[in-house]
Amino acid sequence: MLNRKRFIQQAAMSAGAMLAGPSIMEAASYFNPLKITILHTNDTHSRLEPFPMDGSRNQGLGGIAARGQLINKIRNEEESVLLLDAGDIFQGTPYFNIYKGEPEIKAMTSLGYDATTIGNHDFDAGMESLATQLTRHANFPMLVCNYDFTGTAMENKTQPYKIFKKQKLKIGVFGIGIEPKGLIPENLFGVMKYLDPVQSANEVADQLKRKEGCDMVICLSHLGNKYKDKNQVSDEVLSKETENIDLIIGGHTHTFLDEPLVYKNKKNNDVIVNQVGFAGIILGRLDFEFSKFSGKKLTKNHNISVSQKTVG
Amino acid sequence: MKKNFRLLLVFFTLAVAVTSCNTTYKSQQLAYHSYTINDSLKKDTALISFLAPYKANVNMLMSEVVGHVEIDMEKKIPESELGNFLTDAYLHMAKEKYKTHVDAAIMNYGGIRLHQLLAGDITRGSVFEIMPFDNLLILQKIKGTVLQQFLDHTASLGGWPVAGISMQIKNKKAVHVLIGGNPLDPEKIYTIANSDYVANGGDNSFMLKDIPQLSNGYLMRDAIFDYIKYLKGIGKNIDTKIENRVTNVE
Repeated sequence: MLNRKRFIQQAAMSAGAMLAGPSIMEAASYFNPLKITILHTNDTHSRLEPFPMDGSRNQGLGGIAARGQLINKIRNEEESVLLLDAGDIFQGTPYFNIYKGEPEIKAMTSLGYDATTIGNHDFDAGMESLATQLTRHANFPMLVCNYDFTGTAMENKTQPYKIFKKQKLKIGVFGIGIEPKGLIPENLFGVMKYLDPVQSANEVADQLKRKEGCDMVICLSHLGNKYKDKNQVSDEVLSKETENIDLIIGGHTHTFLDEPLVYKNKKNNDVIVNQVGFAGIILGRLDFEFSKFSGKKLTKNHNISVSQKTVG
Repeated sequence: MKKNFRLLLVFFTLAVAVTSCNTTYKSQQLAYHSYTINDSLKKDTALISFLAPYKANVNMLMSEVVGHVEIDMEKKIPESELGNFLTDAYLHMAKEKYKTHVDAAIMNYGGIRLHQLLAGDITRGSVFEIMPFDNLLILQKIKGTVLQQFLDHTASLGGWPVAGISMQIKNKKAVHVLIGGNPLDPEKIYTIANSDYVANGGDNSFMLKDIPQLSNGYLMRDAIFDYIKYLKGIGKNIDTKIENRVTNVE
């Protein structure tokens, strides 16, 4: 009786294996989810050192040395880490007035940033200067899909997206810039063309998810978290009006959130939106666990747990 | 036997599920942590060494004490100590540098880049942090009707710092506007000190964009330094108060 049971089990196994081929081995991934850790900043605004110890609210907060140590610690603990930024790297401390962005870009290279997008203040020293700093000192891409830099010093210095392969996962990351008119002085953005952010985001996210087969699509956005005027495009608007973005790492509005916001996109799937204030005061950390599912039927809902750490 | 058959079925189901061509990785579990980057954290020594030469130079150029602040000053809407100090500086220095009558100074709220300036010594570096942009202090001659539109725009954004003006915000509009103590005259031409950034249409101030600017290349940041020197010269420190220049009414 026992033998017979074992025989049937073995038959079932081999029948399954015949049908499934190598993917029977992948059945394990139903039970062993893949984890990816996204670390992120925005609007660091040349805050290379912590705020000075002068009794002000933010004294002692921020600084690349402490951020770097924490990032290294997390990298040692986790297999798959992406370090991302949502723009406005420049302007805010005398470092930028004196060096025009060199130490900021060099620091991001040292910290091992995987990608950033472009913020309005990243134009402040001019496009020639930004292009020079990126060419000389960046080993990470500046991603933006709705700025057409043709005919400017920034031509070919940005790319719309980049795909990262982490374990078995393909993560597509792209960038979105804010409307420059009325925000960036015209002499600084020159003949750069601003393309509709929702349309551009939809096109790129669709390409990443469907054509490139990305398991996750991340948007680095410098649009701003949300506005009273609901016609003004923001991360809130972008998340609701798009179909294939899973996560928006936002910036521009210097918004401190207690926890990520969750919106439903056009297909009723979750879009996670986060932003971590400014000046590198906070490092955001999102740990996503991926499991294998049989596709289409499932709408995406996230079970989110939240914790805050004042000491890394 | 029945039990074994069920087991078999489970394996087949699993196999079919695995081979289904639409299997994808999806994330349904998300854990969020926010780390406050705090001075008590351990620091990366390589990054400290990297920054050291830059830091030495920044300190050399920026640590000079340029003045003294009497009170804790905040950046707030609709009116704040920091905003009043800056617009007072811009109004005073615009009159001085352009040798002309100037009715008022207005600045964009977002142009104040430090949230707080505490009582005590103020360094050159702090002034750079308050006003990091190389914007110019310019003059525009603005008709009363357009000035009203511009002040309405500032009201819709919660109220911007002003000097030489008082106004109230009602339904996102500027009401009871006084320029130099007199009600705004729609037909009068006012001379207004502003940044070239806002005058060029920055912060969506499009109504100012086509109005000619008088500019002598004088930086707003230099206006702050020069105003602090002027205050010193008359024996004063930096000291402002809330004077109901801009208030909200229901």
